[in-house]
Amino acid sequence: MSFGDRFFSLLLYATGVLFVAALVHLVAILIMPQVAPRDAYARLGAFAKPGQMMLLPRALPGHQLTPFEDPALAQAVCLYDLANGPLHLHADLPDTRLLTVSFRTRTGQIFYSMTDRASLHGTIDVRIMTQAQLDAEQETDDDENDQPLKELRLVAPDTKGFVLVNALANYPSERADAEAEVKSVSCAPETLAQD
Amino acid sequence: MTLIKFLLTALAGTALGFLVTVRVLDRGIGFDTARAGPWFGQPKSGTMDIDPYANAIIARTAELPLGSAEGLSFIARTDSLGAPLRPECDYTVSGMVPPTRYWTLTLISPEGWLIDNRARRFGFTSAEVVRAPDGSFTITLAHMARPGNWLPVGDTKHYALMLRLYDTLLDFGTTRVGGGALPKITRGRCT
Repeated sequence: MSFGDRFFSLLLYATGVLFVAALVHLVAILIMPQVAPRDAYARLGAFAKPGQMMLLPRALPGHQLTPFEDPALAQAVCLYDLANGPLHLHADLPDTRLLTVSFRTRTGQIFYSMTDRASLHGTIDVRIMTQAQLDAEQETDDDENDQPLKELRLVAPDTKGFVLVNALANYPSERADAEAEVKSVSCAPETLAQD
Repeated sequence: MTLIKFLLTALAGTALGFLVTVRVLDRGIGFDTARAGPWFGQPKSGTMDIDPYANAIIARTAELPLGSAEGLSFIARTDSLGAPLRPECDYTVSGMVPPTRYWTLTLISPEGWLIDNRARRFGFTSAEVVRAPDGSFTITLAHMARPGNWLPVGDTKHYALMLRLYDTLLDFGTTRVGGGALPKITRGRCT
């Protein structure tokens, strides 16, 4: 084998290594959200019960559920599973404190978010449903009268996910009020067709 | 012999691929980066358009980024001149913040955890900060207490600053954001 042949074969194998490495890298990046064992949903799931708004512990050094938390926020989470029906989220906003709501998939992507500014007459009403549930509802809706919707209907990309509610405590003395406010947001699965 | 060579190639490629993945995710490299002075943000992380790298990173760290309608967050690991933030130096964070309903500034470790300090102060909210008559503010980062808006730096070798703009009009999709849009971080005395 001449030097040139050797060099060529080495180059070929090196290219092969790089090709496999690039492929492995891309696949690993793309499947990471599906396979990461300690992602946000897993950490919150160890702590919260599905279909119920749970106040998250206050962010303090050494006692944080997830990194990059804002210590000025009071946060509550509601895990949902739409397999048995839509989820109804309702919030009454008594004062002007900042309240934000984000709707997230099982893997943590945000498919919708809003602040208290998007409220109607001081309340937020959101129903999260699958595309099939929305289609079924719209079919029956057509038969009835055309009343304006009082709530926002959101189609979730997955059946599982979570809602994160934040309220800002502008001063440490406002923390109790902010916590009470996020806790008062209700999040209830709709079992059968109601009203 | 050829088969062994093929297997070795595949094995070496797989190992290299995983190594590169871990390195890239640890260093937080992504395509979606908005920059204003020392502040870095990933505005698409709050949408379904999240960059696949950012998505892999949040899956690993379990962080919960702000939704695009909730606000924008920025992290600074250096001062405005680009030098890393050093715990033995004082820094001032000063200037204005773009039109925003509320904002908070938090001191964290580079991995995103709060750092304990004796004063039990981890950041400022826009309501707490004492301002000059023109609306600008100056926050001093230092080990020892300072007059005015003092943000204590606990016992740490490295830290970063997180600026969150809640309900903001700043939009990286439609406007070019200049380096001066967010507060300046200036190094003061070092011990």
